[in-house]
Amino acid sequence: MAVLSAWRAARVTPLGELHTPPRMTAALLRLAVQVVLVASLWHGLYAHTGTTAGLTRDQAVTYAVLAVLASRLRALDQYAGRDTVIQHMHFGTIVYWYLRPLSPQRYYALRALGEQLYGLAWALAGYVVCLWSGAVKPPGSAAVAGVFALSLLLGQWILYYVMLAIDQLCFFTLRNNAAMLILIFAQNLLSGVYAPLWYFPDWFVTMSGFLPFQATLSVPLSLYVGRIPLSDAGPALLVQAVWVTVLALFTRLVWRLAARRVISQGG
Amino acid sequence: MKNVRLAWRITRLNFRAQLEYRSEFLMMVAIGAVWQVSVIVFATVLLTRFSGMGGWDSSDVLLIPATRMLAHGLFVLFLGRMHGIGYFIQEGKIDICLVRPMPVHLQVQLRMFPTNAIGDLTVAVGLMAGALSRSELDWTAGRTSYLIAAVIGGMLLEAALFTAVASAALRFPAADYWGRWLEELLGTFGSYPLNVLPKAVGGFLTYGLPLAFVAYFPAAVLTGHGHSAGVPYWLAAVSPLLGVLAYLGSRLLWRWSLKHYTGVNG
Repeated sequence: MAVLSAWRAARVTPLGELHTPPRMTAALLRLAVQVVLVASLWHGLYAHTGTTAGLTRDQAVTYAVLAVLASRLRALDQYAGRDTVIQHMHFGTIVYWYLRPLSPQRYYALRALGEQLYGLAWALAGYVVCLWSGAVKPPGSAAVAGVFALSLLLGQWILYYVMLAIDQLCFFTLRNNAAMLILIFAQNLLSGVYAPLWYFPDWFVTMSGFLPFQATLSVPLSLYVGRIPLSDAGPALLVQAVWVTVLALFTRLVWRLAARRVISQGG
Repeated sequence: MKNVRLAWRITRLNFRAQLEYRSEFLMMVAIGAVWQVSVIVFATVLLTRFSGMGGWDSSDVLLIPATRMLAHGLFVLFLGRMHGIGYFIQEGKIDICLVRPMPVHLQVQLRMFPTNAIGDLTVAVGLMAGALSRSELDWTAGRTSYLIAAVIGGMLLEAALFTAVASAALRFPAADYWGRWLEELLGTFGSYPLNVLPKAVGGFLTYGLPLAFVAYFPAAVLTGHGHSAGVPYWLAAVSPLLGVLAYLGSRLLWRWSLKHYTGVNG
């Protein structure tokens, strides 16, 4: 029974997307064009350069294309589904999250799981096409592939908690639009979506090491392209696991504090 | 004149409404700034690591993001509410605009105050000042006038693209999704010399989606790269005028789409 309710909650967003063909067509076209543009840009930049910041052309292109594909994992139009925390806070319907036989924490986690699995299907399909066309290089070995998969899982887990923390902000500030935009910016910049962190100055890389964003994308992709050797994978994975634990405890505490602020209609 | 007075009063009220949530207001100003800083950071990193980007000096390259950012900041301030209009249409709010005695387009532009434009413009003006101070070009009256025209043309071209998406959203609310993609493309590829890209890709960003006309071509003309920009020189030179024409065309499209708009009740 619990599995059935979990399945129902998890499939809400993917079903919503599947019933909106224009959005899916746009997602497909957007992903394809973005991959071609990004690959072209990095090929062009490396036209007169060999290895830069320890990255060869193939490594840089692979990194950049994989970053685009990974961005699909959480690129859903959640607002269109009318089930974001900010919308519920605005319309006063957040209280229903607390009246169901499913706890808000679990409901939120299941919805996010469904979204990320749906995004993963897109990313995997894109990856296969890019691998087939030569836009990305395969991982160096089966061990690298395995470590990358584990690191990517941990990275997405961290990203889930970061997004949750921003959503939880709504319970205290009512609005989180600006915070969300700042988060997206920080995520893109500090996780290496705009450009691999290896190109940035040392102080910038050191500073980003104290934040969780680097662990969401830069670490798994660096493992994949071989910029972080397999021998150094252990500490990197450990840092990711620590972030998962810290953020899990933090968001759990915030869920408790948030529940105290929710009042049913009429007070 | 009455519309202008009314627009000014509504804008003042909208500004006060934004101030209601102080932390959100300040963060929105900040986001405008940091969003633009991200472009600067990326451009700086690329310029440091890959010297001679597309055969352009770094000071010349800087003129591209500076022009684009300033055009974008002005777009956000004056005409930016066309972006993200899908939910406004989906929630039926546009229907209310149809029965009021004010042009719908103006009502849409007045629906909120774009707080983030303050941050956008602050960084954009700073970057333009930096780009001009590093530039070794002789800034004659003609060149300065062309730069001003390029910024206005870029603003109108960006507005034209988002107005076209908004027109589509009147019929297909999901078209709003395309607007976000457009914003992403403008942010990512509107700030660099497009001749580093393969010809087909550069052609797409010129004739398919005219991002190149926003800042790349005007900057190429100003810095003497106009003949190697990938299009005939005259076409690159008339970029500001294309912005004006594209905006007028998009407004006609908007008017036509609005005439054919049918709400939930037909």
